Amino acid sequence: MHLRYMLPVLALVWAEPLSAADLRAYPAEVNLGGPNRTQQLVVVEEENGRAVRDLTSSAKFTSSAESVAKVDASGVVTGLKDGEAKIVVTVGGKTVAVPVKVSAGGEWSFRNHVIPTLTRAGCSMGACHGALAGKGGMKLSLRGYDPESDWHVLTRQALGRRVDGTRPAESLMLTKATRSIAHGGGERFGEESAHYKLLLDWITKGATGPKEADAELTKIEAFPPALLTSPGTKNALRVVVRATYSNGTVEDVTKLARFGSSEENVAKVSEDGTVTPAGTGEAAITVGFGTKVTTVTVTAPFANAVNADTFVKSPRHNFIDEHTLKKLELLRLPPSEQCSDAEFVRRAYLDTCGILPKPDEVTKFVADDDPKKRAKLIDALLEHPAFVDYWALKWSDLLLVSSRKLPQPAMWAFYRKVRQSVADNQPWDRFARDVLTATGSTLTNGGGNFFVIHKDTAELAESTALAFLGTSIGCAKCHNHPLEKWTQDQYWAFANMFARVGLKNGDRAGEVLIQSKADGDALHPRTGKAVPPAPLDGKPLAADSTADRRTHFADWLTAPDNALFARAAVNRVWRAYMGRGLVEAEDDLRDTNPASNRELLDALADDFVRSKFDLKHTMRTILNSAAYQRSSKPAKGNEADDRFGSRYLLRRLPGEVILDAYSDLTGVPTPFDKLNSAAGDSTSPTNSFPRGTRAVQVPDSLVTSRFLDAFGRPERVQTCACERTADASVAQALHLNNGQTLNDKLRDKNSVVSKWIEDKLTDAQIVERVFLAALSRKPTPGEAKKFLDILAEAKADPQARREALEDFVWAVLTGREFLFNR
Amino acid sequence: MIRLDADRPASFCDGSTRRDFLHAGALAPLGFTLASANRGRAEGKPDTDVNCIMLFLVGGPSQLDTWDMKPKAPAEVRGPFAPAKTNVPGIEIAETFPKMAKHADKFSLVRTVYHTATAVHDTGHQMMQTGRLFAGGIEYPHVGCALGYLKGGRGELPAHVLVPKPIGRTGGNLPHGHSAGYLGKPHDPFILNADPNAPGFKVPDLLPPEYLTALRAERRQKLRDAVDGATSAFEQSGAAKQLDDNFKLAYKLMSSSKARDAFALEKESDKTKDRYGRTRFGQSCLMARRLIEAGVRFVTVNMFETVFDEVTWDIHGSKPFTDIVQMSKEVVPNFDAAYTALLEDLHDRGLLKTTMVVAVGEFGRTPKVNPAGGRDHYPGAWTVIMGGGPLKGGTVVGETDELGYAPKSRPVTPGEVAATIFKGLGLDPHKELPGPQNRPIPLADFNVKPIGELF
Repeated sequence: MHLRYMLPVLALVWAEPLSAADLRAYPAEVNLGGPNRTQQLVVVEEENGRAVRDLTSSAKFTSSAESVAKVDASGVVTGLKDGEAKIVVTVGGKTVAVPVKVSAGGEWSFRNHVIPTLTRAGCSMGACHGALAGKGGMKLSLRGYDPESDWHVLTRQALGRRVDGTRPAESLMLTKATRSIAHGGGERFGEESAHYKLLLDWITKGATGPKEADAELTKIEAFPPALLTSPGTKNALRVVVRATYSNGTVEDVTKLARFGSSEENVAKVSEDGTVTPAGTGEAAITVGFGTKVTTVTVTAPFANAVNADTFVKSPRHNFIDEHTLKKLELLRLPPSEQCSDAEFVRRAYLDTCGILPKPDEVTKFVADDDPKKRAKLIDALLEHPAFVDYWALKWSDLLLVSSRKLPQPAMWAFYRKVRQSVADNQPWDRFARDVLTATGSTLTNGGGNFFVIHKDTAELAESTALAFLGTSIGCAKCHNHPLEKWTQDQYWAFANMFARVGLKNGDRAGEVLIQSKADGDALHPRTGKAVPPAPLDGKPLAADSTADRRTHFADWLTAPDNALFARAAVNRVWRAYMGRGLVEAEDDLRDTNPASNRELLDALADDFVRSKFDLKHTMRTILNSAAYQRSSKPAKGNEADDRFGSRYLLRRLPGEVILDAYSDLTGVPTPFDKLNSAAGDSTSPTNSFPRGTRAVQVPDSLVTSRFLDAFGRPERVQTCACERTADASVAQALHLNNGQTLNDKLRDKNSVVSKWIEDKLTDAQIVERVFLAALSRKPTPGEAKKFLDILAEAKADPQARREALEDFVWAVLTGREFLFNR
Repeated sequence: MIRLDADRPASFCDGSTRRDFLHAGALAPLGFTLASANRGRAEGKPDTDVNCIMLFLVGGPSQLDTWDMKPKAPAEVRGPFAPAKTNVPGIEIAETFPKMAKHADKFSLVRTVYHTATAVHDTGHQMMQTGRLFAGGIEYPHVGCALGYLKGGRGELPAHVLVPKPIGRTGGNLPHGHSAGYLGKPHDPFILNADPNAPGFKVPDLLPPEYLTALRAERRQKLRDAVDGATSAFEQSGAAKQLDDNFKLAYKLMSSSKARDAFALEKESDKTKDRYGRTRFGQSCLMARRLIEAGVRFVTVNMFETVFDEVTWDIHGSKPFTDIVQMSKEVVPNFDAAYTALLEDLHDRGLLKTTMVVAVGEFGRTPKVNPAGGRDHYPGAWTVIMGGGPLKGGTVVGETDELGYAPKSRPVTPGEVAATIFKGLGLDPHKELPGPQNRPIPLADFNVKPIGELF
């Protein structure tokens, strides 16, 4: 919107006084670990728990005991000696008091101060000394995951010149970083900076190394916890970060923390933690320090003048709508109206079963005047045979069913297990347990093939975390996860859960016998020792425990209080129906990638657990919600929304669904008669798939199909939702234009085009038929006229008419309205 | 919304996610990018970046019977042929390459390439095309795919074209490294998938089948535009716009005289075709020149599809393989003619200054001739030919020992060959690409340096 039009609207909406707001100072109480420690205070005006304005610079600060703690005009509290004091903050006649406690001590620790300083200054990042090969002859561990080795490198290598105890200021680690002498990495900080002073002080006091007894970082907090910006304003808000250690000390680590924004176009954050609004929507400011992370939510409402009535009157079918509308109202996003019956029936068939409704099903549904007809259709679709095909395909993607690593009989056994589970609507926890604790023959117990596909313990652990927890832990294999809380130690404790799976070949072709072994450990590569096996964030088993590790893991995984398990499942289901995960990507659940609607994700997960992990229950709830049933047409003001549920999101149909629809609509099935070799360098004939097998029913991702390759089917090599792509590509367009798949179906002498000609259908009848079958609607008069005119040009000659009809069907089946669900 | 990606600096772990570049890849499907994607560079300035043609000598040429002869070695090592002088004093190659001998000033020989992995064809294919051996489930991108990812295509043309077909089965049952690997399918090369020497040759999918006349193709576009009943829902959708843009681009490509022209081998005179040799490899080299001339950045030409059903460089001696003599009668003249025709042709058209031509095999052969009169797989030392673009000609890098068993000086790894190509293409060989799970992976590892002697 042009600024000229926007300003009056803003003035109208936002000129209200902010008197209802609260005055808050953060942190609410201050603990200083020694006389040389400081804490920045942030003073804000708050509305419903969200900071709306930073008042720090206009506040007045006074200390009740100047000898214990002093405070300067910018709100920095400095400890002077141990004792207690109170800082009084005054803004515009209102006051808040912040209690301060100063304790004795104040040594700098290598682990908790020096390493974070080097990390913050960028010294140990991947492009600098943190690179695998180091830089300029000095190699630090990536982001300081290995303090022992870093201390050795700094104090013992390079002839001890990096840290000079006799002339501390001459230490290379200072002169390089301040660029007093040449430094390939440029100037990292100045001599006046807090970083410089800390390092100099540490060197002067003897450059002590890391100790076993060092306090451990237990948590970090960021204040204010949530920010609400006003459209059109660019008021910056400051974030402060506080760390708590195992010995009870608390420190201001704002200057050592790293900040990032999940959505740079909503809010930006500077290196020192100042948040500046940049647009509309919601962003998570991620804050990292050491191995801990936290987030601050920034909500930036859209510049819409919306009436509260819009939200009150918007339909609410179940709890999903309560949460969605609350979010939309906060963001000032008006919801689109509900979709038409014709739109709903096509959408629900495609999303639930991967098939198009037949023309008579559309007509009957639209004509039905039962007010409960949508709910009834949803119930019917969830019991439709095509539902089993479609969801078996989805879960086969997830578990990498394919003959790439499995012999044919094993692949079929795995697929049968997945398919049967969908057909039975097996509770998700039972399904996960069946797969993860499978024992015995992989031909009888198909789920066991999960272990045949992932023979490597680390790969098995990573794939399990991705498939069932929607969480990627791979980064922590070699070093502490740079963005998340997972440490390398946790990774190897987790991997060790999977170290006692034994495989041996059975008697039958493709058969492997899975059994739990009594011994065996996954060794931590840095220490060479086994870490007691522990689920992520779960209780470890004793190293000498003889309990079955897989059972222990499955118990933890499927426990009702394991929020991650339920969230991961409902997020996948949500994405399948809503076109975007509450957490996106659907398998990227982590603290620093929060859901677009946390309350809704939690509510869905709770509901899923209460339903005893009933996937169909969750699907039914989503399908029945007004949020799912909204039109894909944007309402004025919600055009830019792609995640909060103000309208149905357009999405391209999966390749398999398009291909099956081509077969159905042209009356010519697709042959699946060749398999690619695993290396992709040859094909061999197969007769596993009788004529008429649908693409969604093919369990093997190696089946040869130029069409499916072009339309982004997953290769099923790596457990990752990203394997399936819905991207549009020129290769697709070229294939549809010139390739054989669709052209051959249209030209086939048994195709529906032949039948129309035989049955002497008129052009008008054909146009209407194709529209109803392919788009679940009749052509508009305008469309009908255009088509009939073009077709009329080719009337004279039978061959020319056939070609024109083929071209017409081609045009409908390659158009955006056909290829997209809307 | 169109997301520009081509000129984006490689990100770190904390940058974009793997999905970001998968999505960004939507712009560059099979190496195609919208012309607009390239406008990041100075508008109107011609793109004179260096191109590359990689001739893959599938099977693994014997260093001793080609470009690193050991005439003083015992008979069971030196083989049946003698060395001959070239137009560069001091450089000698086998007498069986009379045409190459006249062009030694245009190429350099790197005689000390070696690798230490298993001596199967597939590992060498991986290393020579990507610079790395695949391990840990990571498939690395072909050098040309990395280039395409970083620069996008010129105009309507794909960035990287593979001619005529990807390397097929060669026994190791491993991937061969011709794809974009972790960069994702959108960056795969455009694969010709047809034999340019076959009568009635045409590129599948690129051009309409015969029955789709221009009239029909045009009618289809018109009919496609006529479905407009649900317009309002699609107006705001980037994905739907992308779909339609792609159809427009595909149609442009199908009907673009430039793109059609690039693949229209029939426009070459019989004389030119003869000069390259009427073989699949000869005509593929000619196709490579046409493609480079039209604006393609990287062309990979596979000399053979497999090592099993044809006479190749894989000279084990016994059936079904060939021996040294038969190779020298069939394979060598085929290469000699096509390679030199390509050099001359590029040179005559002023393209050699901006086009590197590298000819690589996946390994060398055992110095000792086996009882069947052939030589077996040997990755301890072999010769790679590099020239054109900024690369020096008339130079020899490295020296092998008296028997051609091992480098005596200046050993060169496949990674260094790849780094040299990257540098020649004007890329920082250590520029990072976002790898699996967004781990930054440099084009070539940090300790791997380009061959300085060639610049």
